[in-house]
Amino acid sequence: MTRVIVIGGGIAGTGAALSAAKAGASVSVIDGGPGASTLATGALDAWPWAAPGASIAPVDRGVHDVLDALGGHVVTARPARLVTTAGVVRPARGRDAGLLDLDTTATAAKVVGVVACVRPGWDASALAAAWGDAAQDVPFIVVDATVARHTGEGDMPDADFAARHDDDARLGWLADRLREAVAGNAGLLRALVLPPCLGVERARADALSERLGVRCGEALASPGGPAGLRFEHAKKRALSSARVEVVEARARGVSRTAVGWCVDLEDGRRTEADAVVVAVGGLVGGGVEYAPGEAVLATALPPFSRPPFRLVIDAPLPLGAHGQPLDLPSTLFGVAPEQLAWPAARDPLMDRVGVLADARGRVLPGLFAAGELLADRSRTWLDALATGVVAGAAAAAVNAERRARSSVPAPPIRP
Amino acid sequence: MPVAREPLPAEAVDVAVIGGGINGTGVARDLAMRGLRVALFERNDLAFGASGNSSGMIHGGVRYLSRSPHVTETSCRDSGYIQRIAPHLLFRIPFLMPVRHSAQGRIALELIDAYFRAYDDYQPLKRGEPHCRLDASDLGRLEPGLVGAVVGGITFDEWGVDGARLCVLNAIDAMERGARVHPHATVETVSRVPGGHPAGKRYVVEARDRRTQARIGVQARVVVNATGAWSPVTAALGGLPQLRVRVRPGKGIHVVLDRRLTNYGILSEAIDGRQIFLEPWQNVSVLGTTDDDYYGDLDDVCATSEEVRYLVQGVARVFPGVRTARAIGTYAGVRPSLYAYGRNEDALSREHEIVDHGPDGAPGVYSMIGGKLASYRLFAQEMSDRVAARDFDVQVPCATHTRPLPGGEAVLDAFAFADAQHLTPVAARRLVYRHGTRALRILERADEQPALRHVTCPCEPVLEGEVRHAVREEMACSVEDVSRRTRLGLGACGGMRCAARCGQIVAQELGLPPSAGIRMAGEFLVKQARTRIVALGPEQARQEALSLAHVRASLGEP
Repeated sequence: MTRVIVIGGGIAGTGAALSAAKAGASVSVIDGGPGASTLATGALDAWPWAAPGASIAPVDRGVHDVLDALGGHVVTARPARLVTTAGVVRPARGRDAGLLDLDTTATAAKVVGVVACVRPGWDASALAAAWGDAAQDVPFIVVDATVARHTGEGDMPDADFAARHDDDARLGWLADRLREAVAGNAGLLRALVLPPCLGVERARADALSERLGVRCGEALASPGGPAGLRFEHAKKRALSSARVEVVEARARGVSRTAVGWCVDLEDGRRTEADAVVVAVGGLVGGGVEYAPGEAVLATALPPFSRPPFRLVIDAPLPLGAHGQPLDLPSTLFGVAPEQLAWPAARDPLMDRVGVLADARGRVLPGLFAAGELLADRSRTWLDALATGVVAGAAAAAVNAERRARSSVPAPPIRP
Repeated sequence: MPVAREPLPAEAVDVAVIGGGINGTGVARDLAMRGLRVALFERNDLAFGASGNSSGMIHGGVRYLSRSPHVTETSCRDSGYIQRIAPHLLFRIPFLMPVRHSAQGRIALELIDAYFRAYDDYQPLKRGEPHCRLDASDLGRLEPGLVGAVVGGITFDEWGVDGARLCVLNAIDAMERGARVHPHATVETVSRVPGGHPAGKRYVVEARDRRTQARIGVQARVVVNATGAWSPVTAALGGLPQLRVRVRPGKGIHVVLDRRLTNYGILSEAIDGRQIFLEPWQNVSVLGTTDDDYYGDLDDVCATSEEVRYLVQGVARVFPGVRTARAIGTYAGVRPSLYAYGRNEDALSREHEIVDHGPDGAPGVYSMIGGKLASYRLFAQEMSDRVAARDFDVQVPCATHTRPLPGGEAVLDAFAFADAQHLTPVAARRLVYRHGTRALRILERADEQPALRHVTCPCEPVLEGEVRHAVREEMACSVEDVSRRTRLGLGACGGMRCAARCGQIVAQELGLPPSAGIRMAGEFLVKQARTRIVALGPEQARQEALSLAHVRASLGEP
């Protein structure tokens, strides 16, 4: 049985682990705790959504299989249309199941209700006006309802408040309040938008919709809300039912052994495998660090010139962008940050830097990179998942490939 | 000066003030207090230039002590006056001045000690503490982050202020006394009324609102050009010789660090021997400042990473922690120093000067050149005395040093206020700092509208009621304007969590379409990102990448 270690328990790492397990490998995930995926907003994009030229990409079979195993994430042939707490209506390739898709139900009812309740930053009338303005074809109305049951819930952070609706009785209470609020008008309503509050263990939007008889869902909010926590829960369930071992630790380095690869953990443990998928994230996830020379400077000159980015774990993974390795700058102080980052630079290195790998994420035989860590990819949820799925499947096949290579008959010697 | 075209604008005032910085708002307040009708025009926002981008100190002018002690005395006296009229807006910043170990170290310490002993005489004028002489171990105990061999040092006392708020309060007070204030109105011509009588309306000032393109014009007997570094540009609009109002624009930048790293301001020496500092300021630390000749666009002044490195290097010599601290922004402004050729930037005079354009054929037109935040009130008084006596024969004496600025009438207990209004003590403390007793007015209807107590910007924090107040009462027209008045979006998250919501509120208040609110939030976020990027450090890089992802995900491609 091929043994695969996946470093990183985010979207890419989960995709890699599930696809490698499906391909029959024995898989361990080294999970260093919450990262960029925990900050997921629930919009499943394949590109930055408003990027010029972006269209709706088909999602391949392998990704669909992993999404099915993961649960709680909806990607259909048709894109979703989400409303954001910033007052925007925007397309997404898919969505977390807690978010409202304006187009889910094609009913005769045209109006979407916005639940007016006391929550931080939630102004139902401003949002209804903004979304109505942006959506054009869908009118929004304000629906007054009580959502907070206990004092203090009005100011509670979204994720804490959402956790209360994991409880069935509390969800029932919410359904009753909303039923009173829409009484008599339920037939007019196509859907109800709520602030981010519908569960953290799993999305409760469908359960609430069923009780109420009106489609309900959350607006897309800032990072750090319940959607990211729902991913964490979905991931734990999916990895456990796929019998993937999860090791809660941080990896320090990856090195080659006589037969494969070994991973050193920060707590001193060491594990070996036939293949390793590194999915420790990029700049947001913390796998790549901005490291100008001057950061080590005390009072003298920095000791050496070095590229402005570095990998946080010790592994033979070359960093680069545009398919080229990073250059050494001709200054001890590091590259001027204006040249590296948005909005001063055009096509900035900060958006592109990562590990250089082939289309399957392979860097060396048996060593793969995936997700935000890869160079020149769009830093989005679906792209991270897709690269993870591909790398996981390739990692599970390393032994078979090696055997195939060694069994190829030697070419005949020509005289 | 060109002759005004008919028809002349219907509105007539006594004095048209051009420029909404501290000099313009200060003189508008003073003249309005003396009963004159004033109209003020500002091309950008109030406090957009040097006034809103200063080191944030009302200092006592200690550096002038040896050459012109009267400047130190008037500076200290004025600092005392500003404390009296805006007690809520000032906060004490004790400074440490370490003296490095060297061959002349001991003598230097003696000299500095003696110098500050002389400064102590003026401290009572501004309620300052006398200086203290410290040995090396005292310094280490007071600020454990200090490094390097020192022979000792001294402490001295200064006062911090939010310069942008000081400007806004002067403008509001002027308005409440009848002045008309037009922010975002760029003056396009200053012309002469044909056949104007010296005792009548002699000049026409015409401006264009840069957002609505509407034209605003007034007739005025007196015109005051208080446009700081823009002064020569403004003079040219009236056909006046630019050389008469020449300034030497000196760009100064500051780096903002995410928290108060020290309890004391710390002085240090830059690589070229200039004095620079790290100061705890409101809830952040500020590193400043540079002084370089500036030839660029005054509407678009930005710090560069070169300037940031110069400051960080200089302060790291005595306080190395500044290198690993997280920089969350920079700001830059251009000083309107008095013109001189062939002198180093630091050696330029920070004095102020009134230019009377009578000899240029424009009696009753004045330019206020130079000056500094700390002595704005005195400069405004000198200007107003001249205008009142010479152009209007008004004998009302100046009262800007005795009558409080809005909110400064009494000192409000922030903690009692927090209890009464169900706010966190931090939110109450910040609100009371910025608004004094007007905090009561901001939340006066909070019982009927609980949303006014909601926190819009969690970093600062800024309440929704304060955002609405900034638009309704303080002439804010955009997210950036609100930020200048409240510090919304200037904290660690860079506006990621509050800009969109603030845009919604501003659009609502101004009756604009919601898309306008989203657009102004996006503009603010891009502008802030530009000011942060030059100070990018390892920790902030991660936040920048996250912010970008978030802005793209919720607002659209910036």
